[in-house]
Amino acid sequence: MERSITRGLALLALSFAASSAQAEDLKDATEIVTRANANQYYAGDDGRALIRMKIVDDQGRSRRRQFTVIRRDEKDGGEQSYLVLFDKPADVRNTAFLVHKHPGKDDDRWLYLPGLDLVKRIAASDERTSFVGTHFFYEDISGRNPSEDKHELVETTANEYVIKSTPKKAGDVEFASYTVWIDKKTLLPKRIEYKNKRGKVYRRIEVAKVQSFQGLPTITRMKVSDLESGGYTLSDISRVQYGLGIPDDVFIEASLRNPPRKWMQ
Amino acid sequence: MKRWVLQLSVDRPRWVFLGVAILTLGLGLQIPRIRIDTDPENMLAAEEHARVFHNESKRLFGLHDMIVVGVVNDSHPNGVFNPESLEHIYTLNEQVKSIEGVIPRDVLGPATMDNIEQAGPGAIRFEWLMGEPPRDEEGSIAIRDAALRLPMVKGTVISEDGKSVALYVPIEEKDQSHRIAGEIQEIIDGFSSNDRFYITGLPVAEDTFGVEMFKQMAISAPLAALVIMVLMWLFFRSFTLILSPMIVAMATVIMTMGALIGTGFTVHIMSSMIPIFLMPIAVVDSVHILSEFVDRYPRSGDRRATIREVVGHLFSPMLYTSLTSAVGFLSLTLTPIPPVRVFGVFVALGIGLAFILTILVIPAYVVRLPEKHLAILLSSKDYEQDGGWLGRALKGVGGLSLRFAKPLLVVAVALVAISGYGISQIHINDNPVRWFKPSHRIRVADRVLNDELAGTYPAYLVFKQGSDGVPEVLAAGDEALTRARASEVARAQWNDLKRRVLEEGRSDTSSVDAVIEGTEDLLFDASEQDSETWQTVLTALEEAQTQSKTFQAPEQLAYLEGVQHAVQRSALVGKTSSLTDVVKTVYRELRSGEEKDYRIPESAQAVAQTLLQYQSSHRPHDLWHLVTPDYRETTIWFQLKSGDNEDMAAVQEEVARYLEANPPPEGLRAEWAGLTPLNVVWQENMVRGMLRSLLGAFLIVFLMMTFLFRSPLYGVLSMIPLTMTIVLTYGLIGLVGKDYDMPVAVLSSLTLGLSVDFAIHFLERSRVIQAETGNWIETLGLMFEEPGRAIMRNAIVIAIGFLPLLAAPLVPYNTVGFLMAAIMAVSSIVTVVLLPAIMIHLRKWLTAKKEQETWNEASRVGSPS
Repeated sequence: MERSITRGLALLALSFAASSAQAEDLKDATEIVTRANANQYYAGDDGRALIRMKIVDDQGRSRRRQFTVIRRDEKDGGEQSYLVLFDKPADVRNTAFLVHKHPGKDDDRWLYLPGLDLVKRIAASDERTSFVGTHFFYEDISGRNPSEDKHELVETTANEYVIKSTPKKAGDVEFASYTVWIDKKTLLPKRIEYKNKRGKVYRRIEVAKVQSFQGLPTITRMKVSDLESGGYTLSDISRVQYGLGIPDDVFIEASLRNPPRKWMQ
Repeated sequence: MKRWVLQLSVDRPRWVFLGVAILTLGLGLQIPRIRIDTDPENMLAAEEHARVFHNESKRLFGLHDMIVVGVVNDSHPNGVFNPESLEHIYTLNEQVKSIEGVIPRDVLGPATMDNIEQAGPGAIRFEWLMGEPPRDEEGSIAIRDAALRLPMVKGTVISEDGKSVALYVPIEEKDQSHRIAGEIQEIIDGFSSNDRFYITGLPVAEDTFGVEMFKQMAISAPLAALVIMVLMWLFFRSFTLILSPMIVAMATVIMTMGALIGTGFTVHIMSSMIPIFLMPIAVVDSVHILSEFVDRYPRSGDRRATIREVVGHLFSPMLYTSLTSAVGFLSLTLTPIPPVRVFGVFVALGIGLAFILTILVIPAYVVRLPEKHLAILLSSKDYEQDGGWLGRALKGVGGLSLRFAKPLLVVAVALVAISGYGISQIHINDNPVRWFKPSHRIRVADRVLNDELAGTYPAYLVFKQGSDGVPEVLAAGDEALTRARASEVARAQWNDLKRRVLEEGRSDTSSVDAVIEGTEDLLFDASEQDSETWQTVLTALEEAQTQSKTFQAPEQLAYLEGVQHAVQRSALVGKTSSLTDVVKTVYRELRSGEEKDYRIPESAQAVAQTLLQYQSSHRPHDLWHLVTPDYRETTIWFQLKSGDNEDMAAVQEEVARYLEANPPPEGLRAEWAGLTPLNVVWQENMVRGMLRSLLGAFLIVFLMMTFLFRSPLYGVLSMIPLTMTIVLTYGLIGLVGKDYDMPVAVLSSLTLGLSVDFAIHFLERSRVIQAETGNWIETLGLMFEEPGRAIMRNAIVIAIGFLPLLAAPLVPYNTVGFLMAAIMAVSSIVTVVLLPAIMIHLRKWLTAKKEQETWNEASRVGSPS
């Protein structure tokens, strides 16, 4: 009993996630979105996961991507670093990405291609490009800064907050608006639907599975569907661990060529 | 039968009119259910290999038919690369995505395509080529320069000289192109600038043709009817009298089209011409009857007797002319082209109908005619003994023909020789865009855009592989298991895994991935002893998987490059694009951005990683238009400057030669897909098929003639006008350089059917007259009277009746109009002028020993009963 209280307190300090079980409904859309963003992208102070993605096109043809990702946060919703190391398919093995995320500014991104023995910086560009050929955008993986949109709480149901978000700069994105269904208990998104300028839903992200790791609710299975083409990508997240104590100096350019095996295992 | 028919029509005219009215109305009610089909793809049967392959390739590579919109600006020194023009292009590029039926993610244009370039030392940038319209000249030029650096964009979206831009708008269904092109035009109409916009592309041409064809059906056929009517009035001077052939023609057309539509067939380019073809055929027999009636009636004054007499001796030739015409068209069913077959069957049906209607309606009509209308005929000066101006002219010609028989034959032989040369010069060629006149906006757009850009006609050279690579990967696993001296347990597990994967069949995980995943699970759960085995197997499987990706291997990419280099030399090929171009471009930017790095990377891994970067763009799916996700099948996209079948065929031949000398990687075969190559396939089918059907019909008609006249000599004689007509008209086509296209091909069967008609009438009548006179010279002289007049009247009515088609904006209609006139002119002149000249020489054999017998035959088939 005592142990669990201690642990609970420790986790509370780590993240908003532990405090997500709310007795009363939240009223402020921006607050809900900010906390959901923190839960989804900033769980724990650091973490590691194995991610397997399966890309399926409208003809049922599939391809795979498998990579390990380690992450370290400076502050929830703030600065953050990622290191992504590819394992599958075999021909892209050891391809690596390094990201220094700066909310409100362009991220710093590096890339290592072992087949070309090349490290390259990826200059700032818009983040709504495909993440390595999947139906996810780079922004779906790294998180969209809540301050880029105006949020509106459309509905509060028994289990969900329904929030409609409209971009502040419409020219920068391909959607006109999107709606998120956020689970009241976990404060994690359950479903996101993107509407185009014609008001038609053309893209959907669904959370199929949420599991708790070290008390932190974590999305472990999600699916993004391109409703226009009929293709989709399934993402399975496993071997999740938080609070590993990954040091800051792991997230440097040199780690691209020589991934820190200790932390990436 | 003849007697029975005459009884019905002469004695029960009301019944005839009622029956015809009911049938016409009943079948006519089907016409509003019309479905138009202008897709040349349907010129091939649905199961035809080339078409199946085309559609399979379209699906495999996610290819769509595209509308091409070109933007040209002559007034600005940088062409369209100025802020104002680019603003419009940006707006257009964005707005076409919202048009219903457009596939937004595949729209090609500066606002919807990616740029990849250097962003300072050691950095690379991916972004929209034109994320927003530039504010100044500098920004405009930057976009131009970026676009010119991208091989996939240069020549396709931006002209090589950097002055014009084209958008490619992929559409879901071809039959929506005309509407979508209209909506694009509406967006364009909202701009006011110096830019000129052009819309073209095969789907637009084809669909627009359908729309205009529909209009032409409503204009040309009735117009032809009107002109025929006016001409008949000139000959017969009795509106009431000539109304009857018009009733027959209209009823025939309505019934036939009603039957066609009612039985569920679509109205294709070919079948839209059925009314135009049936109109003359239906009128011909009536004109024969009326012509004779008018010539004879004034002599007897008894209309019942006259019409009985006329129909009586015209019945046989009319039956035979109808049968031969029907055979000519039915022979079209020998072609492998479905719409042409449908056309042949229904025209034949219409001919049968026309015959029945003629012998029922015309006599009934004449019988019911009020006396005062007939009185006009009696008083008409034109139809006194000499048959009017036409009769006098004919007589003159007849005299010359008989007097100069020998020189005439020499001239005929010379004409045939010249035509033979002409035929050897015939170009077999077609191009749906050329179905429009040169001044049509689609033709203009086609000309301008193919001048500015690499080419608006797509063709895809597809490299297809029979297998999916699973056997190779499994074999690698087997081999690794042996090498690792795997335990019994491991072997059993492996066999179990293989069986499971193969049995599972279609799931959303590829079989190769499933084997690898399964092996990973086995490795994860393995005993210490088996762990090493599974590691070996896993490595082997992964290697085999990488190997199985044929077009990730540098040497295969180099092979594609080789094909492209070889064909690029041809002036007909504007541009080719392949996976190799994508790989080289991304590799260049990953390296230095300089020309020296525009090359294929050294290993399959390097290619895979280069392409992984390409897929981190806005349009990762573009890759799958060029290669399948398993990298085992690929396509080279050809952009041709011309959609002419002969040009496409020339390119195909050149590629075939190269592939012969440089065979594709083992297990791969190259084949063509795309609308342009498909047009070549059906054209080849058509030419071969038409030749076969023409020869078949020729033979059958010859046999029918021999049977009709009970004489092979008469059989040969009756084939002379149609042979001459075919040789002369097709010789003319060759000499003037008109392409042998679909309408030209189909007209050969009409020629066959119509030209033999005149010969039948001529020969039949000359035999009857000869039997009366017993003298060929006198007989042939008499042939230039009434029988000759009937033939010439017919020829003139039809020839001139179809001249209004020359005013149609669609080239195939012009072709039909012109050829119809030519066919009528040649076949009637050959019949009336050349046949007597030949017969005068053959007169000994024409009435050989069996004169008595011939007499009997002739009177049996020809004289009134």
